[in-house]
Amino acid sequence: MATHISSNTPSGHAASLSARQYAARKSAVTIAANISAIIVCFIMVFPAFSTLVLSFKQQADVVRTPPLLFPCDTPSERFNPSACRFFTEGYQRILDLGPNPSALFGVEARGRIINTYLPNTILYASAGSLLVTLLAGMAGYVFSRYPFRLKRLLLVSILAITGIPLLTNLLALYQLVVDFRKATGPIFDQLAASGQLTKDVARGLKDWQDRIVLIAIYVGFYLPLSIWIVKGFFDAIPRELEEAALIDGATPLEALLRVIAPLAAPGLIAAFLLTFVNIWNEFIANYLIVGTSKQALRGVIVGVYDLTGNNLINYQVLAAACVLVMLPVVLVFLFARRTFFQAMIEGAVKG
Amino acid sequence: MSPTTPRSSRFIARSLPLWLLLPPLVFIVFVQVYPGFYTFYLSLNNVNAGARKFVGGQNFERVFGSAAFRASLVHTVVFLTGFVTLTLVSGFIVALVLNRKMKLSPLYITLIFIPWVLSDVIVGYVWKLYVDPGTGLLTEFFKLPLFGLGGSPLLIASPPPQIAPDVPFPPAPAMLYLIAAASWKALPFTTLLLLAALQTVPREVIESARIDGATSWNTFRFILLPLILPTILVALFNLTLSGMNGVGMVFSLTGGGPGTATEVLSYLLYNIGFSRLDFGQAAGLSVFIFAINLVLIGVSLRVSRARTELT
Repeated sequence: MATHISSNTPSGHAASLSARQYAARKSAVTIAANISAIIVCFIMVFPAFSTLVLSFKQQADVVRTPPLLFPCDTPSERFNPSACRFFTEGYQRILDLGPNPSALFGVEARGRIINTYLPNTILYASAGSLLVTLLAGMAGYVFSRYPFRLKRLLLVSILAITGIPLLTNLLALYQLVVDFRKATGPIFDQLAASGQLTKDVARGLKDWQDRIVLIAIYVGFYLPLSIWIVKGFFDAIPRELEEAALIDGATPLEALLRVIAPLAAPGLIAAFLLTFVNIWNEFIANYLIVGTSKQALRGVIVGVYDLTGNNLINYQVLAAACVLVMLPVVLVFLFARRTFFQAMIEGAVKG
Repeated sequence: MSPTTPRSSRFIARSLPLWLLLPPLVFIVFVQVYPGFYTFYLSLNNVNAGARKFVGGQNFERVFGSAAFRASLVHTVVFLTGFVTLTLVSGFIVALVLNRKMKLSPLYITLIFIPWVLSDVIVGYVWKLYVDPGTGLLTEFFKLPLFGLGGSPLLIASPPPQIAPDVPFPPAPAMLYLIAAASWKALPFTTLLLLAALQTVPREVIESARIDGATSWNTFRFILLPLILPTILVALFNLTLSGMNGVGMVFSLTGGGPGTATEVLSYLLYNIGFSRLDFGQAAGLSVFIFAINLVLIGVSLRVSRARTELT
C-alpha cells in the first residue's frame, strides 16, 4: 500500500507525467459520459417530442411519406424556419371551442375530454390522493412509532400487497360493484317513484355512488405503497421531539398533529403527488368499473382510448389529445421532481 | 400521561394506534384482500348472468386446456424476457453513465425521467405514432440504407395514416415495438434504482481497488457488481411484476394484435372476462396470474430480507 501511495506523489518527472495523463484520461471519460448522457436524453425525450410536433401539423403534412419531423420544407430547401406550417387543427377538434356568454372568458369547450373527462379525472385524482395521504399518514405514524404484536407481519403483508396488480382483483371488484349497484339501485328508484327525489337527482346519486366506489378502489389500491413511503419519512424524525412535547403536557394526538405532522410534510406531499399521478394515469379500473357502462364518469385516459375505439381518427388529433393529457403530469413532475425521486427511492429501495 | 389523567383519556391514548390503523386497513382489506379471496371463489363457480353454480376445477381445466392460454403464455414469456433484459441492461448502462460526476447531471436525470410520469395508454399511443409503418419517424430511421432493412417485412408500409381499431402491425415488429415502448417507460425507474445503489458504493473502495492494480473490468465484475446485486434483483422482480401486470400499453399500442400476436396473459384475462364475459374462466386465469405474482413477491421479499440482514 505504502509504495503505491509514494508512487502517486508527483516527486519525479515520470510520476507527474502519469498524473497529467491520468487527468487527461479522466476528462476524456467525462466528455464521453456527457455525450452518452445526451444521446440517452435524446432517445428518452424524442418520442414524446415528436408527438408534440405532430399535434401541430396539418393533415397534408401528417400523411406525407417519407415523414418529416418539422413541416418546414419548401420545394427547394429541406428546412426553412420561415416556411413552417404549424396548425392547431388537432387541438381545435379535441377542445371544440364555442362561444358561450355565461362561461368563463365567454368561451366554452364542448369536447368531451375537456368538459367531462378532465373534471372527472381531477376529482378522482385529488379526492383519491387526499384520502391516501391522510390514511397513509395515520398508518405510517403507527408503524413508525408504536411497538405491537404482529407489526412485522402486518408491515411485510402491506409490502407484499404493493406487488398485487389491480387487474387480477378487478374481476372480483367488478362483480362486487355490480352486486352493490343491484342492492342500492332499487332504493334510489323507490325514492324517485315516491316523489321524494326527482328522477335526475336519483340518477345523479347513482352516479355519485359509482364515483365514490371508484375513488375507494383507488385508495385501497395505492395506499400500501404510500404507507411505506410515509413510514420511511416518519422513521427519520427523531423520537425525542415527540417525547419533549409529551413531557410539556401535550396529548399524543396533539404531539402528532402539532410536532410530527409538519416535519413529516415532505413525505406526505410525496405520497400525495405520487398517488395523484398514478390515479391520473390509471386506465383499466376506470375503464372497466365505470367507463364501459357510464360514459359521463370516464376519466381522461379512457377518453383518449375512446377516441380510437369506434371511428377513424387523424393522427394529429390523437397526438393533440395525448399532449393535453400528458402536459399536466409532466409539469407537476418538473416542478416537484426531487419529491418524486425521494418517494420512489423510499418506496422501492427501502421496501 | 400523568397519574392525574382521567381514565377515559388514558384509554384513548392507549388505543390511539388502533384507531389510526383501522381505517387504512379497512380500505386495503376491502380492495385488495377480500377481492383476492372472492376471485378464488368465483374461479370455482360458473358465473352466468349473475347466477353462480359450483363447478370445481372445471374453469381451470378450460383455461389451461385452451390454445389461447398456451399461446398467450408464450407471448408473455417472450415479452417479459425481452422487456426485462432490455430494461435492466440499458438501465444499468445509463446508471453507470449518470454515476459519473457531471455538471449537467440534474438536467439529464430530469429529461430521462419524463416517460416515467406518462400513462401506459399514452405511451402506447406515442409509440404507435412513432413506429407507424408509413409515417412513423422511428420506422423511417430504420429505413436508412445503413440498416439494410429497406424492403423487409419489419417495416411494411400498409395502413392509412389514420388509426382504425383493427389496423394491424406485422406480428414480429408488434411484439418488438411493445417491448421497446414498455422499456422506454420502465427505464427511468430502473435507472434511478440502480443509480441510488451505485451511489452507496464508497468511492474509496473502487479507488483502492484501482490503486491495487485491478483492471476496470475486474473492479466492475468483482466489486461493483456484487455490491449492487441485491438492487439488481429488486429491479428484476419489479420489472417482471410490472411487465406481467401492465395491460394499458397493449390496449393502445397493439390491441393484442395483429391477430393474437401480442395477446399477453393480462390482455387475455381482459378478453375472457370483459369481452366474452366468461367470469368463471377469467377468475381461473386471475388466480393463475395472482399465484405467479405471489411467488415473485415472496422471492423478492426473501431477497430484500437477505439484503437487510447483510447490511
